[in-house]
Amino acid sequence: MTCERIREQIPEALAGRLNAADRDALVEHLEGCAGCRTEVAELNAVWRGLETVKSGMDAAPDSGAKVRFEEMLAAYQAGMAAAQPAARPAVNTPRTAWFPMQPVWRFAMAAGLLLAGVLCGRYLPQSGAGGNPEMAQLRAQVENLHQMVAISMLQQQSPSARMRGVTYTEKISQPDPQVLDALLQAVNHDANINVRLSAVDALQKFATGPEVALAMVNSIAEQESPLVQIALIDMLVQLDARGAAPGLARISKDMNMDEMVRQRAAWALRKLEVQG
Amino acid sequence: MEDELTMCEVREGAVGKLELLFDRHYPGILRYFQYLTSNRTLSEDLAQEVFFRVLKYRHTYQPEGNFRAWLYQIARRVYADQLSKRKPEVAMPEEAREISGATLPPDREFQKKQETLMLRRALAAMPGDKREVLIMSRFLELKYEEIATVLECEVGTVKVRVYRAMRDLSDRFFALSGERAS
Repeated sequence: MTCERIREQIPEALAGRLNAADRDALVEHLEGCAGCRTEVAELNAVWRGLETVKSGMDAAPDSGAKVRFEEMLAAYQAGMAAAQPAARPAVNTPRTAWFPMQPVWRFAMAAGLLLAGVLCGRYLPQSGAGGNPEMAQLRAQVENLHQMVAISMLQQQSPSARMRGVTYTEKISQPDPQVLDALLQAVNHDANINVRLSAVDALQKFATGPEVALAMVNSIAEQESPLVQIALIDMLVQLDARGAAPGLARISKDMNMDEMVRQRAAWALRKLEVQG
Repeated sequence: MEDELTMCEVREGAVGKLELLFDRHYPGILRYFQYLTSNRTLSEDLAQEVFFRVLKYRHTYQPEGNFRAWLYQIARRVYADQLSKRKPEVAMPEEAREISGATLPPDREFQKKQETLMLRRALAAMPGDKREVLIMSRFLELKYEEIATVLECEVGTVKVRVYRAMRDLSDRFFALSGERAS
């Protein structure tokens, strides 16, 4: 075996992973080759030194990491449950995933429920049919409460609270300009990529007009993460936003964009043409 | 196989099972980023991002695939995305800066400490691709087959790359310390 082939096996030999036959061949070669012996000595010194480097950097993860993960998982599960109500109960879905963790939101929810209760108590005994204007008013008030809670949660400092805010927008049945603004703000400016991605998904429900598609196209140019850019492009295709075609054409040719993003924009253009 | 079975359940919708995989692999993923960035806070953020992407792209997991290799492929992409956002930062340990050029007392313990710091400096100065393959092989103890899957290359290529990375590190280390093994 040549010195080159022998030397390539040195790291495996130092790690104790070399099979017996190769190890014997290595030893036999080393007996007659001073150059390879020096190589083994040098690499062995470095290899052993790395053990000390390793033990010096092996700090245990702190408990906060698990809490962050659990919050992310709960938010994701809540998002899954909201997106697929018929598919519930999902395996291992925590019963409290939808419930706000912060006392202030618990209070807001409690106040909302109290308001709904009072209004139900006042109007329901007199109302029979669902089309009654008082019932409509009650529904509008509950809807407003949902919007208020969602917008406030989207402005929280904690990423997990903002993530819950995004998920909470699923509860809002009517498109609302304020919620739409808050979601676009989250897509464009939220520091956390997970929140930005979830906000893109949530936009689907509110993207009813051509101005939203335009805002989404503009947002693609602002984004740093190709992941978010691709999610926005996919959403435009999903929404069949043909008005976004000129913007997508620009992106597909913009050499400053990530290559994957340019390719995705070109793909989106083709999809929109086919749909058209 | 245990990881693979658990990931199949996650893929099918039992996302709560991801907690088991988080408990088993978060420490390794955190170490991977710490070795790459030397920044604990950034590493924690990147490690969380890996598990978020596992959830988001759980449908892309192939049941016959090695879970650990798939996980590190995701970690690698997360790191690449991070690099595309900002200039790579491999912080040199403060002590390593202080110690370069200092005169040393003939104390063995101190000498060993100095060697460790110089090795860390040498490691930080290596090109990213060489450092990465060394981290996977030496620190995370991934098998060559797993590294080949993560890097999307042949096992033989991994063998050569690990050796060249060790050679590079060794040259840098001995250049810093001013002596070679005999």
